[in-house]
Parts: sequence; structure tokens; C-alpha cells
Amino acid sequence: MRSNCSLNTYDTRTTILSNEEVAEAHYLLRCECAEIAQHARPGQFIHVMISQGPGMLLRRPFTIYTVEGDEITMLYQIIGAGTEQLSEMPTGAPLHVLGPLGNTFNLTTNPEPAILVGGGAGIASLMLLAVVLREKDIQTLGLVGAQHRARLLSVSDLESIGIAVHIATDDGSIGHHGYVTEILTDLLRETQWHRPTIYACGPHGMLAAVTEIATDFQVPTQIAMENRMGCAMGVCLGCVCPVRIDTDRFEYQRVCTEGPVFNATDIAWDVF
Amino acid sequence: MDATDLSLNVNIGGIQMRNPVMTASGTFGYGSEYVNFVDLNQLGAVVVKGVTSVPWPGNPMQRIMETPSGMLNAIGLQNVGVDGFISEKLPYLRDFDVPVIVNVCGKTVEEYLIVTEKLNSADGVAGIELNISCPNLDCGGMSFGVDATLAHELVTEVRAKTHLPILVKLSPNVTDITLIARAVEDAGANALSAINTLLGMAINAETRKPELANVTGGLSGPAIKPVALRLVWEVYKSVSIPIVGMGGIMTATDAVEFFIAGSSAVAVGTANFVNPQASMEVVKGLHAYLKEADIGSIKELVGSLQVDPPTIA
Ligand SMILES: Cc1cc2nc3c(=O)[nH]c(=O)nc-3n(C[C@H](O)[C@H](O)[C@H](O)COP(=O)(O)OP(=O)(O)OC[C@H]3O[C@@H](n4cnc5c(N)ncnc54)[C@H](O)[C@@H]3O)c2cc1C
Ligand SMILES: Cc1cc2nc3c(=O)[nH]c(=O)nc-3n(C[C@H](O)[C@H](O)[C@H](O)COP(=O)(O)O)c2cc1C
Ligand code: FES
Repeated sequence: MRSNCSLNTYDTRTTILSNEEVAEAHYLLRCECAEIAQHARPGQFIHVMISQGPGMLLRRPFTIYTVEGDEITMLYQIIGAGTEQLSEMPTGAPLHVLGPLGNTFNLTTNPEPAILVGGGAGIASLMLLAVVLREKDIQTLGLVGAQHRARLLSVSDLESIGIAVHIATDDGSIGHHGYVTEILTDLLRETQWHRPTIYACGPHGMLAAVTEIATDFQVPTQIAMENRMGCAMGVCLGCVCPVRIDTDRFEYQRVCTEGPVFNATDIAWDVF
Repeated sequence: MDATDLSLNVNIGGIQMRNPVMTASGTFGYGSEYVNFVDLNQLGAVVVKGVTSVPWPGNPMQRIMETPSGMLNAIGLQNVGVDGFISEKLPYLRDFDVPVIVNVCGKTVEEYLIVTEKLNSADGVAGIELNISCPNLDCGGMSFGVDATLAHELVTEVRAKTHLPILVKLSPNVTDITLIARAVEDAGANALSAINTLLGMAINAETRKPELANVTGGLSGPAIKPVALRLVWEVYKSVSIPIVGMGGIMTATDAVEFFIAGSSAVAVGTANFVNPQASMEVVKGLHAYLKEADIGSIKELVGSLQVDPPTIA
């Protein structure tokens, strides 16, 4: 999948409008970025400069969670120093936001359901897609996985646009006790859909499992990959992942430019 | 900026530039990626990603890691190869009024020569930068840059094959950089680029694994600026060809420090990743600095370090 070129990419100097904890260790940040909002498409991301002081050098990539008028939001998990610092930034704090970046999900044209599979903060990458699918009146199911109840994300956001949500937690504190991929397998086994489409984002292991399931059931599947990023503009070649070019060869493609969205079965999972 | 203002004009080893601000190889792609943020016509020169005789696949992931005030990379020179560069990348750059300098790398002398000869006949190449300092290759690359005899041999052979200006990119991973600098000057280099990345590594204490698949990588960014300044200063005192200084330049003030240490031009590298407009801001900032300090030409700054004479107790 080729991305649209960087001509519609903007480096917006903006300020935080709100930055609130929405689940344990997860925050929703809102800011005004008119050009980014105007051009953002499902799956695309922003590259955010959190600190300009000494110490932390690089920006951090986050998916565009929602777009409303001139405003965008991002939904993020505290992982390390960068996201920790971001979570402490108050309303009015300055932020440099580069975007929109990367390619986009290809929208299904099938009448059968689109199945969104999100693990942890990965569900953030599927929200804009969910909105567009519903605008096109495509039946959409949400499968949302979390470690435990307090970390569950996005369920009400999905339900509010008419998406039925199935939940899985690692400890069973809500929904299915186990992995979200187990719900996916059961769904595909029990229902007689002719050709659903799967869209997934989440931890590496979850995406690898989704790809196996997709292969077994022969369901076309698009996944949003993550990787450490330097430039996010396609020049440093730091963010690559292995992509099959035929049965026994692969090449390294940039998650920031050829991705983040890939066909699940194109990824050379055995190379990681 | 006034187009007739000549205060920033420089000539680097025969390449005439409107200003002394270039892009560092590997941090600016092939020029097209940043057009939304950088007017290439306002740059001194564009230095493109290293090219090799055939396409290289690059190293396995992970390839980069952020470290305090810097980053490590072990990209392994993934590139389209010289033929791909000439047919797919160079035509785009020809539309701009900016010198294009091609960073050249190889595992053997022959590979450097193949690339050089192909660039000789390509339209739109202003000069070549011999990368004898890439730390991320098993063989070749940096081995030429850490041995004065090998470096001399390589530059002599390339010199015999081209009339293009040759810049030689020096490795900081040596005991005495001036030995290499003098060797390549003697072999016919027209200018020097200093410095490439510093060899380093990062370890995950939990997993006891290296953070990079290649185990070691090249450190760049503000963390290396003090080392880069020191090396430019040492090289400046030992050669008479111009130096393109780089290593952690984020702002015009950083660039000014490099001129004072002895650079005749500078290159902006890792800063591009953080701020896509960094190179443009350095150009503007240099203008403002000269104006403010009432200096007629950037050349007056080069090597102007004021070292107080030792006081006798
Ligand atoms: C295209 C894309 C979209 C993303 N969208 C979201 C999102 O919507 N919500 C969310 O919570 N997270 C998202 N992530 C992951 C997010 O970028 C990381 O969690 C974040 O960079 C961690 O930074 P840190 O300083 O807190 O962590 P540290 O571990 O301290 O960071 C150290 C370095 O590793 C990098 N890094 C660490 N984890 C990741 C990771 N998973 N992916 C990429 N780089 C990483 C950091 O950017 C930094 O350079 C996305 C990643 C990518 C590549
Ligand atoms: C991701 C990355 C890729 C690089 N690739 C090359 C390369 O192909 N050839 C080369 O001579 N230098 C390469 N360099 C080194 C830079 O050109 C520069 O010498 C170095 O990064 C120091 O400058 P900086 O601190 O401003 O980045 C690369 C640096 C980085 C960070
Ligand atoms: S992050 Fe630099 S090429 Fe993708």
C-alpha cells in the first residue's frame, strides 16, 4: 500500500485544549490543528514533540483518534518517559504536531460486517475508521481487549455510533476472560458470513495471532503496525518492518510511509 | 532575505553555494520528502542518502533507539543503488537550483569506483561525498575511515576516476582524526565532512538484550556536539581544505559554534527529524547573527576561536 505523498503534511504549533485521564494510565488529548483535521483519514497518525528541553530528543507517534471541526484528539497510554511527561501537561501547554502521516485503511465495499479488533491502546487506531464505516452504513462489530476493567477503552465511543462491542479482559474482570482473538475465532466459526473484513491494531503478539486466524478463515485483514520512529517522514529508514514480496523473499518497508496499514498476510512474521 | 546579499556565499571544494547550510546524508532522504517544509532553492546544498553500487536491503529491526539528547541508528545503508538513484531520484532534484552532493559508500574500493563512474556521467551531480565512516557495516565502510593508508588509497583511486569535487566524510571513531584528514587531503580530497556518527550501544536492563538488532549503532544529535566541535577544531588546525561541520546542530547558534571551530559550511542532520524546518531556521538564524554582529561575510567567522594565551603564574 502506497501512501499519499507528504504534500498535505503540516507542522502545527498548537496548544492543549484538554488532556484527561479516561481509563487507568490512558489519556485523551484534544488540540486544534485545522489543516491536520481537514486532511486526516482513517489509520493516519501524528508525530508529536513533547519536550523541547534537553534530554528527550525525538517526537512520539500517535494515531489520530477523532476529528471534530478543527480539532483532533489522540488517545494514549503511559508507556515511558515521553507519554508520562505528556500526561502531566496542562491545558494551554504548547505542542508541535506533525501530520497527518502515513497511509490509510482501505474501506471495504462488502455488505458483510467489518470487524474491528483492538488490543489495549490499539483501539485508538480504529476509531476514525469506525466513524467512516458507519457513515457508509457498513455493519461494524467491535472487539475490544484490555488487561482489566479499569483499562478498557473506547467502548462507549463505539457504541454511540451504533457499533456492537464484544469485550475481553486478561483477568476476566469484564467480558470474556481471555484474549480478544478468542472472541474473533468464535465469531468466525459460528457465523456464516461469506466475506467479512477484519481491521486490527494492538500488541505485536495479538496482530500475529489475528493474522493466523485470518489466514485460517481466509478473511481479508488490514492491520496497523507500530514501531519506533525517527522522522516519520520516510527519510531515516528507522521504522521498517519486513514485508513479503513473494513466497520466499521480503523487503524492509517503512511503517511511517508504506504503513502503518498493511495487509496482515503481507507481513513476514517469521522474520521478526 | 535579500537575494543579492552575498554575506553567506561560500565555495566548498569547488562547489559554489548560496549559503553554507547543507543537509546531512541519511537525514534528508533524496530531497523530495521535505519539500513541504524546506525550499530546496534556499539551501546551500542537498546531500542525499548514501548510495552503493547495487541496492542494499539494510539491517534487521530494531534499527533506532532514542538515548539522552541523541539517538542510535544502525540502518545498514538501505538504499536503491546507484542506478536506481540516477533514474528515480536524481531527475526530481534537477528541477531545483541547488547543488546535489551524492554520499557514496561501498564494501570494496571497486564498489566506490563503480558508483563514482556512474555519477560522473549523470546530469545534475555537483560533487560526491565519500562515506568512509559508516559504523554499521561488517566490512568496508568505516574500515577505510579508521586507517590512514586505506583512506589514502581509496581517495587516490577515486580521484583518478573523477573531476567532480570530492568531499571525504571522516569518522570520529579514531584515536587521531588529523592523520586521516591529512592522508585524504594529500590524496586529492577537495573538502572534508566531519563528523559521522559515534559508535555506541544501548542495553535493555530487563531483557539483557541490546536495543538494536545490530548490537552497536551510530550516535547522533545534540549529545555528540561537544565531540564534533573538538574534532572539527583539530582537523581545522591540520589541513587547508574546507571542512563541512556537523554533529548535533539544532539551531543557528550551534552552527555558529561550528564556524568558530573551523567549519566553512555546516550540515543539519538529526535535527530534521525533530523539526522538519530546522535547516531553513539555521539559514535565517545565520543571517540574523551576521547582521547583529555586523559581520560582512560568514568567512570571517571560520576558525575564529579566541583562545586566551596561557597565563604564567
Ligand atoms: C503509527 C503509530 C501510532 C501509534 N498510536 C498510538 C496511539 O494512538 N496511542 C498510544 O497509546 N500509543 C500509540 N503508539 C505508540 C506510542 O508511539 C508509544 O507508546 C510512545 O512512543 C511511547 O513513548 P514513551 O516515551 O512514553 O516510551 P519510551 O519507551 O520511554 O520511549 C522510548 C522510545 O521508544 C519509542 N517507543 C516506545 N514504544 C513504542 C511503540 N509502541 N511504538 C512506537 N514507538 C515506541 C518512543 O517513541 C521513544 O522513541 C503509536 C505508535 C505508532 C508507530
Ligand atoms: C538515520 C541516520 C542515517 C544516516 N545515514 C548516513 C549515510 O547514509 N551516509 C553518511 O555519510 N552519514 C549518514 N548519517 C550520519 C549523518 O549524516 C551525520 O554525519 C551525523 O548524524 C551527525 O550529525 P547530526 O548529529 O546532526 O545528525 C546518518 C545519520 C542518521 C541519524
Ligand atoms: S520514521 Fe523515519 S523512515 Fe519511518
